[in-house]
Amino acid sequence: MRRALAWILSGMLVLPLVLLVLLSLARHWTWPALLPADLQLRQWRDLFADANGLGTVVLRSLGMGIGVAVAATALGFASSRSLARHARQGRLLALLHLPFAVSPVVLGVSLLYAFLRLHLAGHLLGVMLAQLVFAYAYAVILLSGFWNPRARSLEELASSLGAGRRQVWLHVLMPLARPLLGVCLFQTFLISWFDYALVLLIGSGQVATLTITLYQYFSSGDIRLAATCALLLLAPPLLALGLNQQLLSATIVTHLEAHDDD
Amino acid sequence: MTTDASSPTLRVDRLGVQLGGQVILHDVSFVVDVHTTMAVIGASGCGKTTLLRAIAGLLTPAHGEVKLGARRVDLLAPNRRGIVYLNQEPLLFPHLDLFENIAFGLRLRRLPERQVRERVAEMLVQLELDGMERRHAHALSGGQRQRAAFGRALVVEPALLLLDEPFSNLDPDTRTSMQDLFKQLARRRGITALLVTHDLKESMRMGDSFAMMRGGRVHAYADRKAFCADPASGVEREAAFWQAFTSGDAQVSGCDARTADS
Repeated sequence: MRRALAWILSGMLVLPLVLLVLLSLARHWTWPALLPADLQLRQWRDLFADANGLGTVVLRSLGMGIGVAVAATALGFASSRSLARHARQGRLLALLHLPFAVSPVVLGVSLLYAFLRLHLAGHLLGVMLAQLVFAYAYAVILLSGFWNPRARSLEELASSLGAGRRQVWLHVLMPLARPLLGVCLFQTFLISWFDYALVLLIGSGQVATLTITLYQYFSSGDIRLAATCALLLLAPPLLALGLNQQLLSATIVTHLEAHDDD
Repeated sequence: MTTDASSPTLRVDRLGVQLGGQVILHDVSFVVDVHTTMAVIGASGCGKTTLLRAIAGLLTPAHGEVKLGARRVDLLAPNRRGIVYLNQEPLLFPHLDLFENIAFGLRLRRLPERQVRERVAEMLVQLELDGMERRHAHALSGGQRQRAAFGRALVVEPALLLLDEPFSNLDPDTRTSMQDLFKQLARRRGITALLVTHDLKESMRMGDSFAMMRGGRVHAYADRKAFCADPASGVEREAAFWQAFTSGDAQVSGCDARTADS
């Protein structure tokens, strides 16, 4: 029973990926053939030879994702520390859930109005700032769990042993939080990487990312180029997921060690 | 052995602490002579930990002064006071092994690598922890962690060591051996220390001078004799109990026939 369930779950996860790979390599795949007759790399070549400059789109999406992830994680780490010591910690934490309580489209429309006045609409920076609203809130919520009494005691201990504020961050807090920071970087990268609504609204057609390009191929009926593009979209998260597994394991080990110490 | 200049007299003058509008310390004043340990005894919740944290700079006093020799240290940041505060829990940095834990304060002071290695190696021998350099906190027993925490504090030769019931989590045998180790190291290294405890025996074993804390107020005794003579210290009561016990007082020892039968 367990084995069958494992197979079903694996199938549900792997089959869509296999289908995407086949679609991206298929030259002809007509009904009722179970598999495509001819597999080749032509679509991949076409995609990158495209006058739209997909390479630039991929680099832009990567740059946006990394920028948003680094900014959200750095700001989120510092903010979550202040939040943990704030008298109204609970209320502020509840407020941070607000971006997730409303639809990104609703938030996007509100931000668009503000960004138009600030001349940020239609610019890469504007899109990244809009994504940062979500990513920052997520980072603070995720990282606020790090600031428990134990972390505070270790911070005080380092200070008592002679560490200045910068040394406490560099030699104690950041190494201790490294697994969690890794998870946060990964998750906030994905918020930007998979974002469609904010790019569409704030970008106002001036900022092309991989999700926008994928949708364009799909709307134009080119399902094979769309599949190829979708695989590109999945590549960094799948790669990062492999690393993230290690990070998650490290997080678990750290927590176990902490409990063991207690 | 450190010099008098590096381990000066502690003078606490009219120190007051308020937390959440409540007065925790009332005009506390006392002196700890150089190279001696003052034991402050008091029940739980009387303000012992607050007193140490205020001296260490981990919380801000409402008023009063803390001087080490001629230097007023209460105006300095915790890392610039030369005071090490040792928590009840033997906290080791979980991301560092035993060697690096003990070397932590030395590395902050940017000592040459050779000197760091020599001093840590010497401390490990004194702590009887040599051969365990590469172990992390989770691979050490409670007593070993306590030794390591001591070593890390002593190796930086602090002007003042603050001990917050450091042995309360240890079993009786380990506690006794740790008390002996502390006395030995404190004498050898000329440490000035302030110990707070609720354990009368511990205060008698470790203290050179004594004070009683009650309701946020500290009463310092002129000498050991005065401390023992004060009925509030509980020394006479404790002594009378053991005297009765050793003299075979059946009611105290519980060795009479009725108790044996039941």
